[in-house]
Formats: sequence, structure tokens, C-alpha cells
Amino acid sequence: MSTVEPTPTATQRLGEQIRYWLPAVVVFGLGLAAWEWLLPDVLGVEEFLLPRFSDVVQALVEERDELLRGAWITFKEAFGGFVLGSGVAIAAALVLARWRPFGNALMPYMIAANAIPIIAFAPITNAWFGLLSPWSKVTIAAVLCFFPVLVNTLRGLTSVDPESVELMRSYAASERDVFRRVRIPSSLPYVFSALKVASVLAMIGAVVGDYFGGSLEALGIVVLSAVNLSRYSTSWAAILVASIMGIAFYGAVALVERYALRWHPSVQRRT
Amino acid sequence: MAARVGKRVVTFLLVLGGLWALWEGYKWLWERTAWSKPFRVDDLTLPHAHAILLQLGESTSTGDDLWLFLIRAALFTAKSAAVGFAFGAVVGFFLGVVLVQFDVLRRGIMPYVVASQTIPILALAPIVVRGLGSVSIGGSPPPDWVRVSVIASYLTFFPVTVNTIRGLRSADPWALELMHSYAARGWTVLWKLRVPSALPYIFTALKIAATASVVGAIIGEQTASISNGLGGAILNFNQYYVLEPKNLWATNFYAALLGIGFFLVVLLAEKVVVHRAPERLV
Repeated sequence: MSTVEPTPTATQRLGEQIRYWLPAVVVFGLGLAAWEWLLPDVLGVEEFLLPRFSDVVQALVEERDELLRGAWITFKEAFGGFVLGSGVAIAAALVLARWRPFGNALMPYMIAANAIPIIAFAPITNAWFGLLSPWSKVTIAAVLCFFPVLVNTLRGLTSVDPESVELMRSYAASERDVFRRVRIPSSLPYVFSALKVASVLAMIGAVVGDYFGGSLEALGIVVLSAVNLSRYSTSWAAILVASIMGIAFYGAVALVERYALRWHPSVQRRT
Repeated sequence: MAARVGKRVVTFLLVLGGLWALWEGYKWLWERTAWSKPFRVDDLTLPHAHAILLQLGESTSTGDDLWLFLIRAALFTAKSAAVGFAFGAVVGFFLGVVLVQFDVLRRGIMPYVVASQTIPILALAPIVVRGLGSVSIGGSPPPDWVRVSVIASYLTFFPVTVNTIRGLRSADPWALELMHSYAARGWTVLWKLRVPSALPYIFTALKIAATASVVGAIIGEQTASISNGLGGAILNFNQYYVLEPKNLWATNFYAALLGIGFFLVVLLAEKVVVHRAPERLV
């Protein structure tokens, strides 16, 4: 970072950071303490609503093999759906951006399609691929990812600075070059914000899709069967694993975003 | 005006026709060539679109025609989703307002509310619905639709809180300074400046939450085997899918309409409340 203003020293900056994040750390500690003692002991919250934190951690440790195996199965479903759905969506957006009137006319319908409870279609995809196939979950995750990525990519491709396009035209750039040098780069922030949303949706699609069938070891099945057997700590541990996976998936996309958008003001401001 | 409406109607019909053609064309091509990738197409896996519509006139085991049965189920699901949505939205909004007033609280809580947006909280549905079924309030567990609406409300609560805070903090600094220079009180600044400038953000969250609450209600019903709603109907018809696949398709068709309906209601409310043209006009 090169700047003419006097930069605060490293210690000063560290101190600022600590002061800024201190409340979050305190809340984290208080939250854990409440989970461990206040809720079960003082408020009498029963195990079937929220088991004690230490019980959940114990379940997490004791059943780590089962949980990790399930997590891996479910993650593969989510990731497959994410790649498939986002890939098809980006390709479709590129096509629709070439035929603007067509894309504009379809836009409201694509947005409305996003309001369809797609996970509710899991029983149908099970009928398509067979109850035990991972493909039903991949399909659900892919369709969940498809619409937000399509809408946002199209929005990004079409909301470019008209002056840049005009400049390109004045250099006699072909439509293809305009796409490569202007439209696609300036659509990237939109694409990545959609991909971040899609990473969450893919996880939801995979875990919740598991509830309707599939490999008996998948993470969603662990949640459900543990609830049925009243092993509440195990199901919370599985939820915890799913949450950590969700955060990691989201974080990975965010990291790629920061790398791909190094040149973009929104990223540079943050660093 | 009339021309615009006419154009919209024509587009709508074209889209509908296009979808129908895609559906039937896909079915025809895959059946004709007997392709089994990605899945084998026949009347069981992909019934004719018109056959699904005609199925609505058939009577179900309850004695009602399917269309009426599904409307009852949709209303049950809609009630859970709407109550949960309203509750979550109100609580989320007020929490957002409180957190913006107290910066320490905001810094303490905001990271976790944001993190909630990156984890599959819908996956909690079975635990929450079953768990609440074991609670006793006044001698009996809460009614089924209340347990389901809890899911809809927490799915609504988190995005509304996040976006309320973002929106309230997005108020134009010049306008804020102007208000201060008139010695406007905090309350006035909040209602006259901050809340109006937060509305577009809040509606973005509400649109996401509208769909999520319908999804939450359906998944909640399914994982707890509550049979009166669309989720229950999906489970039930799924069991008899081999005998009559069209019932399940029709139920999912209603679920889709319910989700879109919720979304459109919020969209309409946005158009009424937010006078400035929203940037993402549908």
C-alpha cells in the first residue's frame, strides 16, 4: 500500500482491530456460556430443543468418522450442483446478453422462477434418478444455483458503462471484443456476488435434499435419523458440521473473488 | 398504457407456450430416441403437461377434487409461512433499528447475523419442528402450523436484520448532517431519513425471505410429517407416485405458484411503499 498520508503503525492498527472486534468476541463467549449453562440450567431448555454445547462437542468428537463421511458425500453433491448450475447459468447469460430484447423480456420470469420452492421438487428428482442416486441432490442444488447466477450475470453483462462500449466501438472493436474486454470484466462483481449466494444455496439443496433419500450416510440423513432416535446432540453436531462447510464454501468463493477482482475498486478499498 | 399491458400479456403467453413446447419437446425427443441420460423419460418420470392440469379435476381419496384439496393444503401452508414471515420481519426490523442505535451491540452481534447467511439454516427444520412438538405450552404442544411458522420466521429474521442495518447505515451523510444542523432529534432522523433510505434494502431482504418462508414451511411440514399442508401432500403423493405421478406434479405446481405468489405480494408492497423507482423493477 502506497499512500502519502502517515500510516498508522502496525501496533496501532492491531489495537484498532482488537477494539473493533472485541464486542464480537465477548458476544461469542457469552453465547457459548449461555448455551452451556444459562439455557439448560437456569431456563430449563430441554435437550430436544437445544442440547448443551459440551454434549454437542462430545457428539462431534465421538462420531467424527460418521460425520466426516457424511459431510464429504454431501459436499460432493453440493459442489457438483454448484458447478453444474452456475456453469449452465453463466453460459445462458452470455447467450441472452447477445440478444438483449429476448433477455429483457425473459428477465421477470427468471426472477419469478427464483421464487419457486425448488427443494420441494426433491421427491420428483428422486423418481427420476432413483432413491439412492446422488444425482437427484446434484440436480436440486444445480437448479437452486441456476436462477440467481443467471439473473445476476445477465444484469452484470448488460449494465456496463455505455461510454466504455462507445469507446470500444470507436476503435472498431468487434462485438466479441466488447464482450471480452468490457462486458465480461465489468460483470464479474455481479457474477461473484451471485456465486456466493449460490454456494449457500447449493449447501442447502444438498443437505435438505438428503432428507428425501439418497445415500444413507449423507449428512442430511444423519441429522434426520439422529432426531428420529432422539440423539439430539448428534443431529446438532451434524448441523454444526454443515454450517462449518457452508462457511468454508462461501469463504472459498469469496477468496477467489478477491483474487479475480484485484483490480476492482470495491476490493482495493478493503485492503 | 393499453399497448404496454397488451405487450405484457403477449409476452406472458409466449413464455408459457415456450415452456410448454420445451416440456413436450423434451419428452417427445427423449421418449422417441429412448435416451436414458440424464434419466429415462416416460409418463411416470415426466407426465404430459396437459395431463397434469386435467388431473386437477379428478377426485382424491379425501373425496374432494384435487384442485380443491390442493387449495386447502396451500392455504394451510400459506398461513404458517405468512405468520412466520410477518413475525420474523417485524422482529428483524426492530432488532436492526436497535443495533444501529448502539454501535457496540452492532459490532458484537452483526458478524453472527451475517454468518447466518452463509450456513444452511433451513437444515434445522426437522430438529425445530420435532423439538417444538415435545414442548408443552398450557398442557399441550403448540399447534402444527405454529411449529412450522417458527421455521419461516427465523428464515425471514436473519436477512431482514442484516439488510435493515445496512439500509439504515446507508443514509446520505449530507442529509444526516443537514438534519443535525436543524437540531433534529435522533427519533426524527430515524423515521424521516434513515428508515426511508433503508426501505429498498429491507424489501430486497423481504423478497428473499418471502420465498424462503414458503420453502421453510413446506420442508418443516415434510420433516415432521404434518399432513394438512402442501408439504404433507407432497409426501403423501410421493408414496403413491408409481400409481399416480400426476398428483405429485400438480402439488409441486401449486407449491411453485404459492412461492411466486408470496414473492409478488412483497413486490407489490414494495411498489406501493417505495415511491422512488426501485432499480430492479420486475
